[in-house]
Amino acid sequence: MTQLISLGQKPAAPPDLVPIRFRDVAGDVLLTNPWGDWVFVSQAEFADLARGHLAAGSDVYTRLAERNFLRSKVDVEKVAAAMRNKKRFLDYGPNLHMFVVTLRCNETCVYCHASRAEMDAVHTDMTPELAEKCVDLALQTTSPAITIEFQGGEPLVAFDTVKHVVKYALQRNRAYGKDLGFTMVSNLSLMDDEKLKFLVEHKVQMCTSIDGPEPIHTKQRVLVGGSSYFESVKWIERINKAYIDLGLDPTLYHVEALLTTTRDALKKPREIVDTYINLGCRAIFLRPVDPFGFAEKTRAKIEYDRAEYREFYRTAVEHILDYNRRGEQVLERYAAIFLTKILQGEDPNFLDIRSPGGSAIGALAYNYDGKIFTSDEGRMMHETGDDSFVIGDVRTATYRGLMKHETVRALILASIREVQPDCVSCTYAPYCGVQPEHNHRTQGTLFGRMRESTLCSVHKGIQDFLFEKLRENDPKTVEILRRWTTVRERTHFVHASAAS
Amino acid sequence: MDYGVSGTLAVHTADEEVSMSDITTVLGEGTVTVEFDESFYPKDAIYGAAYVFIDRCYVHLDRAGDKRVRVTLRAKSGKPADGEALAGELQNELLGQAWRLSIAAENRQLIESITSRALGGAAGPPGLDELLAMDIDEATAFDDPLGIAMSWEEKYKKKGAADEGADAPKADASASSDAAEPNAAGEKSS
Repeated sequence: MTQLISLGQKPAAPPDLVPIRFRDVAGDVLLTNPWGDWVFVSQAEFADLARGHLAAGSDVYTRLAERNFLRSKVDVEKVAAAMRNKKRFLDYGPNLHMFVVTLRCNETCVYCHASRAEMDAVHTDMTPELAEKCVDLALQTTSPAITIEFQGGEPLVAFDTVKHVVKYALQRNRAYGKDLGFTMVSNLSLMDDEKLKFLVEHKVQMCTSIDGPEPIHTKQRVLVGGSSYFESVKWIERINKAYIDLGLDPTLYHVEALLTTTRDALKKPREIVDTYINLGCRAIFLRPVDPFGFAEKTRAKIEYDRAEYREFYRTAVEHILDYNRRGEQVLERYAAIFLTKILQGEDPNFLDIRSPGGSAIGALAYNYDGKIFTSDEGRMMHETGDDSFVIGDVRTATYRGLMKHETVRALILASIREVQPDCVSCTYAPYCGVQPEHNHRTQGTLFGRMRESTLCSVHKGIQDFLFEKLRENDPKTVEILRRWTTVRERTHFVHASAAS
Repeated sequence: MDYGVSGTLAVHTADEEVSMSDITTVLGEGTVTVEFDESFYPKDAIYGAAYVFIDRCYVHLDRAGDKRVRVTLRAKSGKPADGEALAGELQNELLGQAWRLSIAAENRQLIESITSRALGGAAGPPGLDELLAMDIDEATAFDDPLGIAMSWEEKYKKKGAADEGADAPKADASASSDAAEPNAAGEKSS
């Protein structure tokens, strides 16, 4: 919490200082400027700045000058080029296209009720004809690269549709010449050798869920007649071996696993990290539970205080850092996203943490019945009776019509940080992002109130932790954090453009 | 960094109507009424703040007197209401909406720039599908309601202009298509 500084006069910043935002971090004051540079100053230095004192040639003057905080020292061309680079995602439309090929799922998860159906609900399967229309629409994006992500339900339940989409998209893409990729989010329990062969041959990247050590995972993801954990682990190992057999680097090519942090998981930060590392995962995404996909009455059982989550996050990431200090290369995904912006000045285009957000203009979700949504979150809200984020139907929609839809315009406006109270003055504004669907779901307003936003609490907590580490400036830790910002492209999974 | 918001707030029961400061809150049977000076908040902020409650409450806006606005929230059936909490939430939302309007006005140029770039980049140029979606048939294909295909002289009846009732101007439909389907995929990025 910021302490009051007794100035004895009206604050008056030095005339050469650019607009700043500031926040207490680990006893010092963190300053950020509108283009994302940052610098720490001491409380005394900050008090001097607030009095308008800044002596040329002083230590603080030099640090401010080096970090583009002094007007007279800013390289305007360089800063402008950097800003253009960071916002380059605005030049293109959605690159992520999520296909809900079925709502049927063979697992029952504590945090996922409304967006799944029983295994006999065959009417929730996407038909091949509808799937083709989804592909046709997705390929019209202005993005030169697209990823089709198979979701559910459990996509392996509707594997024929998955296969059809892959073949049809590859064939249709000859006319478009986009860099095309496929991913599948699956619990893996319905995998078999034939399916695996197809997926590996067609370079479909696989992603699964691991909710922690076996007892937690099995309890949260109930698989009738079996262990969801052991099924997942068995296939993770098989798939990773298949990549090695292809001669791919296992540190880059392996099954990605995602954590949904539940109340039980909060108690086991170190054990969760150990579980992931033992499975060969090199990236751990410590996601808090989100408010979508289950009915309102379930929320009370699922939700938890985000202060507990922040404590969990700190303990888990400290444990990950310890692994790295011992030579194991493993990163935390949230940290990597923020650090890429903080340390590299790049925007990794993570759709939920960018400004404006990635709903519709960064991603589209296609439901089994042909309805199109601004995001998967919007699709899940539809399953709980809220149609706010339906923007069309693949049978009738045009690509430009979707992008110009009034809901899309509202989502853009609501996710520009400079529009939001709190965000506009938040020190972390250059690195952060808001998710309007989350605001709508939890607060009943697209714009949201950040003071009450659980997502804001998580984002701020993570950035506080990272800046504390940067303030400590331990060389080994900073080197590890910098390494997490190195993006290694998985080119094997890209079907390179070959327009004919 | 924490912000403090100072204001005056008085909460009374219906039985305890006390004259008050700038904001009055009256708790009734299943309702809460909040009155305030309309000059505090722009009208759009009042509408926006009241709208946030429509899923939980029936919302009534009224004028309570000279430059006073009254917002009445009546809980929908089956939805228990904490009147005091609703009143507080409404006031917080009023503040948020008003401030947001002010921020948006201050940053209008930036917001418009980002929004138009986001929409323009995502939507791309018009494609063949939009042209095909237009209501064009044999009878209307050569309509030129804006007189785009007319010469300047024809359009403004200047010297040498065609007589009234001359042949309809010919529009070249093929020239209006910016991009055929495959090209609509957009240029490559680095």
